[in-house]
Amino acid sequence: MTHTAPELLVGASSDFLKRFSPFDRMEPEALAFLAERAVLAFHPRGSEILTPEMGQPRHFHIIQRGKVQARQSGPAKVTEYSTLTMGPGECFPIGAISAQRPSTNAYVAEEDSFVFQLGVDDFMTLMRISPVFHLFCTQYIASLLNQSRQQLQTTFAQRAAEQQTMTTPLGNLIKQAPVWVTPDTSTRAALEKMAELRIGCIVVADEAQHPMGVLTQSDLLPRVVLPAFDLARPIEEVMTLAPRTLPATASAYDAALEMATHGVRHLLVVDGEGKLTGVVSERDLFSLQRISLRQVRASIEGAADIEALQRAATDIRELALNLIAQGIGAEQLTRFISALNDALTHRIIALALERHDLYGIDYAWLAFGSEGRHEQTLSTDQDNGLIFVCPELVEKEPLKLRLLEFARDVNDDLAACGFPLCKGNIMASNPELCLTPEEWRHRFGKWISEPDPQALLNASIFFDFRVLYGNQRLGDQLRVWLNKTARANSAFQRLMAGNALQVAPPLGRLRDFVLEEDGTVDLKKSGARLFVDAARIFALRTGIGASGTVQRLRQSGVRMGIPADEVAAIVDGFHFIQLLRLRAQHLETRHDAPGDNKVNPDTLNELDRRILKEAFRQARKLQTRLRLDYQL
Amino acid sequence: MSWLDRLRPGRPESAAHDPAVREALARWQALPAPDLGRPHFDTRYVVVNTEATGLDLESDRLLAVGAIAIDGGVIDPRHSYYAPLDPDPAAALGGLLEFCGKAPLVVFNAGFNRVTLERAWAQWLGVEPEPVWLDLLWLLPAVFDTGPDGPLRLAQWMKAFDIETFQRHHALGDAWAIAQLFIALQGRATVQGIGSARALAELERTRRQFPSPT
Repeated sequence: MTHTAPELLVGASSDFLKRFSPFDRMEPEALAFLAERAVLAFHPRGSEILTPEMGQPRHFHIIQRGKVQARQSGPAKVTEYSTLTMGPGECFPIGAISAQRPSTNAYVAEEDSFVFQLGVDDFMTLMRISPVFHLFCTQYIASLLNQSRQQLQTTFAQRAAEQQTMTTPLGNLIKQAPVWVTPDTSTRAALEKMAELRIGCIVVADEAQHPMGVLTQSDLLPRVVLPAFDLARPIEEVMTLAPRTLPATASAYDAALEMATHGVRHLLVVDGEGKLTGVVSERDLFSLQRISLRQVRASIEGAADIEALQRAATDIRELALNLIAQGIGAEQLTRFISALNDALTHRIIALALERHDLYGIDYAWLAFGSEGRHEQTLSTDQDNGLIFVCPELVEKEPLKLRLLEFARDVNDDLAACGFPLCKGNIMASNPELCLTPEEWRHRFGKWISEPDPQALLNASIFFDFRVLYGNQRLGDQLRVWLNKTARANSAFQRLMAGNALQVAPPLGRLRDFVLEEDGTVDLKKSGARLFVDAARIFALRTGIGASGTVQRLRQSGVRMGIPADEVAAIVDGFHFIQLLRLRAQHLETRHDAPGDNKVNPDTLNELDRRILKEAFRQARKLQTRLRLDYQL
Repeated sequence: MSWLDRLRPGRPESAAHDPAVREALARWQALPAPDLGRPHFDTRYVVVNTEATGLDLESDRLLAVGAIAIDGGVIDPRHSYYAPLDPDPAAALGGLLEFCGKAPLVVFNAGFNRVTLERAWAQWLGVEPEPVWLDLLWLLPAVFDTGPDGPLRLAQWMKAFDIETFQRHHALGDAWAIAQLFIALQGRATVQGIGSARALAELERTRRQFPSPT
């Protein structure tokens, strides 16, 4: 059999490609397509093949022979490497060409190199016709996500490391210059100084600042007040002689041991010459110890009053930081936060039940919105309601009044623990939201049959309900009914879809991102919400019971026949946006600014920006699907 | 006309009997002359190569011709040509000529390839094309400045560049290797300011006049 010249050359190219992954696994037709369209170019040593300045890449490159160096351009080193040398069989750029944006790396021939190039349109076609190649590119982008997470870990680990640990030298723990007086100072003057500076302990030292004694608050009662000590007399007459000292190089652990052994609460820290450098208190050491998940949980469950729960709420935030530092992904993180907030709410309800007698009432406490989806971030308003059964022959109104009083207490306690009262009054104490199953069904049914804009907005909050406390079955039955009703009404679904499409992902044609007036991107409004809204519609359409966005996407994806890798990419995109939200909120709340879900893309590092763009592209994909499905 | 006539040498007018070949020749003749001053990336070059029973111009017989176009500095596998002379030498050589157009032709060792092709074209088609010939045998050492001990033969150059081909001593197989050498040469020559076909031709002429550096 004879071959034409193109067949021979294409054969030569495909024989070459087949020696490398992923081309070795590629479908034969796809490989033929690639080998036929890939042209061979030469790049002399030192020449630039692709740089960010060249704009959107026009070619996908596969190295045939030689070496190409990928060099990160841009201020931050965002990946594990700043430069990377690539050899035969390796390809670039993947992220940039899939996203049709300029490369963030500069690719320079490290030696004379032969490189195949495939036009951008052919690259797109190849992605479409070859599942293997598509997966390869998707996984590559996923690995970028992974690297970004590691980057995030490093940042937070650093922050956590900056927070002191028990191995910290005492010298680093001292917060202020030592306060000391000479032995001949009058006791009154010394005590006035303690009061003025609000310190629990005053050091007595000689002219060379060598400590001679110490007087603490707990000494006052037995030595000064009760014996009616004359305050005009010098302090050396009441001070404790030869106070415990430790060198500045000793660790916090040493100090804790010393305190425990001698039963003291303060230790003097001295430098190498015995000169006083500061005072360390027991409290300083305690604040070093990390809060663990178990501790927080135990402290919530054992909390006897709201004050204890308030402390636990603060600990939850603190814990979130530690969890990020430990490299926990957005999904687990939001679930932890959600679980702890649930535990907190449980405890608040349990405490309220001690004051309110609801014995015999069949009811459930419902969470709506992000809490209903298990997607709370660190600054979430409360969205809750009640569902209760009114037995026959029982008057409804008195029953409802009891529930409302109970709910009001719970709402107030939640607010006291850092869940702000809902501005829209979506709270269980609102009589409109404390309803029987029939009433809830009636309300939901009305929104579905008469879907005006307000009804659609309501649906987007209330349809994400779940039972947080009480009779789970009440919620389950409502969910089954809702899914059945919404599923049967395609006009309603279509309007929901239209509503979901009103906000487009902030992807720009010229710039990377379309920014708000203040130069930021709203990660909630034009980011997370796009995923959440689409997932809700998919769930209603396919009758999924889950209220969480990720579960909804995964479960409905199966029923709708969306390929698993496509769903995974969407979920990754959603998680990344959530992670950025949490991070922004956390960093901001540490500076006592309110978390407002906004991020300025310019402040993100190169890689995060890339991935954020990718995440928005996933949102766009979801919207395209909605548009197609509902002919919008 | 019998098939024997076609194989018989020394009958240039035989091409005139095949209308398809005649039309191809007419189209080729109508092509405008190339602009040799254009930069490499804007010039179409054609690497041509022959496959013969041996390397003796007088006694060996041409078996096949192969060609690969280099346009825009890249090798596109779809732009290639290969034809054995048997059974229709006129068609094979006419097709080659049409594929080449008036582009500058790149060969490795013009002494054999160019002479072989010119004779074959005259013999089977009755034409004497006068393209610009570029000989890598001279140009490669000039551009890569490899000195007297550097590579000389095609196999040595292939080794120096770590170039592979699917079949050695095959008209297209060797053309594939030569084409790769040529794009490397283009890349390097451009950096050196030798940016057009004319500049390459001049470099080759100088090199032929002063074979060794003085």
